[in-house]
Amino acid sequence: MPAHPTAQGGGPGWANLGMDIVSVKRVRRLLDDHGEDFFQRMLNPGELDDCRTSSGLDLLSLCGRIAAKEAAFKTLRVRGRFLPWRDIVVRRSDGGWPLVELRRTAAEMAAESGIQDITVSISHDVDYAVAVAAPVLGDPRHRP
Amino acid sequence: MTDGLQQVKDWILKRHPERDDIPNDLDLIENRLIDSLSFVEFVFLLEQHSGRTIEMETLEVDSLRTLDAIEAAFFLAEVK
Repeated sequence: MPAHPTAQGGGPGWANLGMDIVSVKRVRRLLDDHGEDFFQRMLNPGELDDCRTSSGLDLLSLCGRIAAKEAAFKTLRVRGRFLPWRDIVVRRSDGGWPLVELRRTAAEMAAESGIQDITVSISHDVDYAVAVAAPVLGDPRHRP
Repeated sequence: MTDGLQQVKDWILKRHPERDDIPNDLDLIENRLIDSLSFVEFVFLLEQHSGRTIEMETLEVDSLRTLDAIEAAFFLAEVK
């Protein structure tokens, strides 16, 4: 078995999905214990702005964003590394759906796995947020 | 065990009350004592107790895999 399995490991057309679930309870505790600045370790300023409403940081949006990053990371099939939180950027598009941008370490991991891009979908309801991600296989140099 | 590592161990035990102890060679990742979400808080804690800045994006899993590895990487390493 290769030390660093690639996305194409299953043959033509094969793609490894990623999925994650995040508990609002856990994220609320982090927010209560460490404050909003703690999340700058996981999200870029623009991502945090996407999670704000007129009444402050929206916990479900925050959980959704965290789940999306983890789901995207799982598509990369990287062994021995932690999620490079701030290098997987999940922003809200004009249409409202999430867009993934891979930077630095995450972009290198994707290139090694033959992944050109990642598409992600987020859903949440009361206590949990979930996200599923699918890689777009191809040469990262030809990213649209 | 250094004081810093003992505080790290206490932090993990507090979040896993089903455990009485954590052997120094127990795989913290495989045994789900640290996951990707708690990892961020864990690094925050390590920075506080070791007095060192840790670059999360390039951190290797093996440096956090066991209490022994954590002690070697963050509490015993010579600061040059």
